[in-house]
Amino acid sequence: MAEGKSDTAHLYDGKTIRSSAPSRKKAAGRLKGSTEIPKDAIPEVHVPSVIESFFGGPIVTKTKFLPPDRVVSSLQMSAAITLTLLSIVTFTVTPVSGTAWFWLSNAINQPEIGALIHLALIAIGFIGGMYGIFQREQRALLISYVILILVTIRFAGSKVEFGIDLLPDGEIAQKLLLISYALFLVMYIELTSGIIRFSMLDKSIRTGEVYVMNVKKITRQYYRSLMITPLVAGLVALVALMINLIIPTIVGLLGSESAATRLAESVELTSVYGVALGTAVVFMVVASAFAVNLPVRLAQMRENTGK
Amino acid sequence: MAWSRKSAMFASLAIALYLLGLVLRNQQLVTVAVVLLSFLTWAAFRTTNADVSSSGRRLDDDNSSGGIALQNLVALRKLSSARVFEDGEIDVSIRIQNKSNLSKVLEVRDRVPEVMRIKKGANYVLMELGPQRETEISYTIEAPLRGFYTIGPVCIRIQDTFGLFHNEREIHLYDDFLVFPKMEDIKDALIKSRVPKIFTGAVNIRNPGEGSNFYNLREYVAGDSMKKVNWKATARSGGKLMVNEFERDAVSDIILLVDSRAVAETGPVSRNSLVYSTRAAASLSQYFLSRRDSVGVVVYGDEIVSVDRDTGKKQLYVILTKLAGAMAKGNTPLKVVTNRILPHINRGSPIILLSPLEDDPTIIDAVRDLRSRNFDVTILSPSSLEFEFDARRLDRTGYELLKTERDILMSELRGLGANVMDWEPDMLLNTALSGARGF
Repeated sequence: MAEGKSDTAHLYDGKTIRSSAPSRKKAAGRLKGSTEIPKDAIPEVHVPSVIESFFGGPIVTKTKFLPPDRVVSSLQMSAAITLTLLSIVTFTVTPVSGTAWFWLSNAINQPEIGALIHLALIAIGFIGGMYGIFQREQRALLISYVILILVTIRFAGSKVEFGIDLLPDGEIAQKLLLISYALFLVMYIELTSGIIRFSMLDKSIRTGEVYVMNVKKITRQYYRSLMITPLVAGLVALVALMINLIIPTIVGLLGSESAATRLAESVELTSVYGVALGTAVVFMVVASAFAVNLPVRLAQMRENTGK
Repeated sequence: MAWSRKSAMFASLAIALYLLGLVLRNQQLVTVAVVLLSFLTWAAFRTTNADVSSSGRRLDDDNSSGGIALQNLVALRKLSSARVFEDGEIDVSIRIQNKSNLSKVLEVRDRVPEVMRIKKGANYVLMELGPQRETEISYTIEAPLRGFYTIGPVCIRIQDTFGLFHNEREIHLYDDFLVFPKMEDIKDALIKSRVPKIFTGAVNIRNPGEGSNFYNLREYVAGDSMKKVNWKATARSGGKLMVNEFERDAVSDIILLVDSRAVAETGPVSRNSLVYSTRAAASLSQYFLSRRDSVGVVVYGDEIVSVDRDTGKKQLYVILTKLAGAMAKGNTPLKVVTNRILPHINRGSPIILLSPLEDDPTIIDAVRDLRSRNFDVTILSPSSLEFEFDARRLDRTGYELLKTERDILMSELRGLGANVMDWEPDMLLNTALSGARGF
């Protein structure tokens, strides 16, 4: 049968009538001599992009927020201060040498260009971050994270090297500075994600989707965690970074002074591989704590004693 | 313990930076990685191994998974009513008890059927619950559509303050409730049986007998009570004794046929033929039962479900329950239904058919059969064309075309002696019934 013609066409001035409800009405109304599927019969399907498929959803969601409440405002202020400190610390602890742009600018005999790119990247990370914080724009925040991490990716050659020569030469001071940089970065990421999380929560509360009992207690707990968790993380990182001092001390306590001295002067232990060893040691301890079910036992103890 | 996307991204970033740091011999990157990992580990340490248990009905939780933080939580739910009419409200209250010695931050979500609207309060609560404390969450739901529904389970979640890890468990605490179709007040349905039943009732049938309403005059026959003699009529009739006849009071058998075939759901969810038919059936049942008539209902779709004729308030609830559960399924023709029920109903009983009159080639045959057996057939047909046209799913040409088809079918049915009414969406049931009966 030719398209547009059917056995019912002669009855209805050439219009084709299909007989299965409920689509038959739709078809009767829409068909004008052709049998194509009506546009509104095709459901709208969102085909996820490659990135969305990989991460199981969009990395950044497009959400409209209500004006920030007190919690969100204070988080925005904290994030802005952290970002400022992070940008300053990034600038001071990250030299341009060893970066890809340093290598490129040297290749064309224009080393100043490398330094400019370096500065520009930090500035973009800072400005993008500030925009993201106050506009609650997740894409700007993501760009800021990426740039601020990208700036630190450089070949360092095992030696701790800073962008400004005025910084301390003492090993512990240097490592504390590195830890504070890392803590600022992690806190910046956490605080900005907190801004988005609490903005969404605030929106849900105001639209009646969620009811929150004891808001103050919940936010107080979050603030407390914001104080405690970086301290714990900093302490763990300090132990991992100080392994070149801890191991010789332990060996010295065990009685072998010369071995302790040799270990303390070992290039491997003071290098990044020493830090890797420290990390492995620290996380082996943590893993064994999980293996013996320590968190459960602690939880049980806390449940029973109520502390 | 479940990972969130945030914690997964943190972990991936930490591992990537750690490896990159080793390759590039960059302590700065390794330090960031170590801090990130410590951050994650601490959060995991604090959130680990939580579980939930509850007391309450249908509890089949497996408590052997060794959870701690959620183990001492108990949930109990109470509904204000288990049966409401459409657009009615149900107050739900859930009591959450924390029987442990620790304070907990909990996310509690009580799962409510999708079609329900939260009228007051919230079924999703974030709370800090102190040690040995209990709290009550209350909310009100509005039930816009008839049906059988279940509230539950209750989902409780504990997560770390940064939203990195969480533990959650569903408390299998369910409460069922029933939403009956909405009923409309009917003043007078004007439907009466011509067939007397053996016991008298409040309803007049159009036959002479013992009753209260005047029916006719006739000549006196031996055995008639002298009280019935109409002396004025006797005087006018030239000496013949005339007696009053009264219309017999009786209980009618009313049979309601509700079309719940798949086609009956054509149109928007809240405005379709099945919704209108069930509401009409509920209203008519209430009306007839209040007149002490005997009402039976047959709902046909993928199968034929019937409620035997009976009277009284209990019968109303039986009918309403059946109507609440009517699902738009299948395509059982009307002829099959009438063939099945005809042997069981009294001849002449009023039959009210509630159907969109679509996609059933046996309608004419079935109605002809009913009329030939002297059944009083009334057809109320909610027009799904109007529903679709109002919802802009049908354009003018299609509407006109199908309307013509429908009008032809209705004329044919009227020709067979059935009272037919094309029930438009904005028309009240009373008006539609009056139209069907020609008043």
